[in-house]
Amino acid sequence: MRIVCPFCGERELGEFTYLGDAKPVRPTADAGEDAVHDYVYLRDNVAGVMSENWYHGGGCRAWLKVTRNTLTHEIAAVEPAAGAGAAKVGA
Amino acid sequence: MAEFSWDVRSPLDRALAVGRYGGHGDAGVALTEIRNFDLIQVMARRGKAAEMAKAAEGRFGVAAPETPKVVQTADATLIWSGPDQFLVRSKGDKHGMAALAPLLAGSASLSDQSHARVLVSVSGAKARTMLAKLSSIDLHPGVFAVGAAAATSMDHTSVTLWRGNDRADGQAVFNVLVFATFAESLWHTMQDSAAEYGVAIGHSEEF
Ligand SMILES: [Zn+2]
Repeated sequence: MRIVCPFCGERELGEFTYLGDAKPVRPTADAGEDAVHDYVYLRDNVAGVMSENWYHGGGCRAWLKVTRNTLTHEIAAVEPAAGAGAAKVGA
Repeated sequence: MAEFSWDVRSPLDRALAVGRYGGHGDAGVALTEIRNFDLIQVMARRGKAAEMAKAAEGRFGVAAPETPKVVQTADATLIWSGPDQFLVRSKGDKHGMAALAPLLAGSASLSDQSHARVLVSVSGAKARTMLAKLSSIDLHPGVFAVGAAAATSMDHTSVTLWRGNDRADGQAVFNVLVFATFAESLWHTMQDSAAEYGVAIGHSEEF
């Protein structure tokens, strides 16, 4: 599998580290225990297209958001993760 | 109180033995450590990439690289190292910390890497063949031209790789910048990879 880093171009899998599902959003401070438990521990086991966080640690050291089909490994999109790596991206 | 005597020397001091090794005939690969340079890491602060770019252009007279490439000026090399960041390589404190900090400190974070990295120049007729064993980057002249750069890994070690100006005999020169503590390990790997072609080992202070 190869990933096209938006900053570096096409690179081999060995330069990247997989973090996991990019979908969960940290709950607000008053969201309650169930919401925090869900955020920390519960993940969907997606068979199909999912949004994932990857780290280009063996390259430009930017965090990336990768849209990947877990059944075919087909990658539909790679974007910089919000606020990570690039000062001009996200908040 | 203990007396300290600081001795500045290359991290490759023990590993690098000047000479001609390996395969017979003309050396197919030249491995040359470049010593005694200044190296400053410049990284834009959040939301200040445009400001940093403007300050850098004012200082160097040319735009700093915003894509994987190097920009040569008369007395500095600006090397892309990631989004909104680059390295400034120079010599003799021309573009050292004291010179750059007043101009760039507002828009960027600066870090002196002069003694934290090792720079190895790889050239020779078999340089590409030897590097192909270690790198997944396409080094074909049509893809990786003079001035091309990459933040990548060699032998599981993070490196900044770029193609400098060709040698006087027309052969390509690849520069490998590696963290000082990983340098000896990568050096041995490069030396082993080059041995079958015959390798000329040396060091230089040439800019
Ligand atoms: Zn990258």
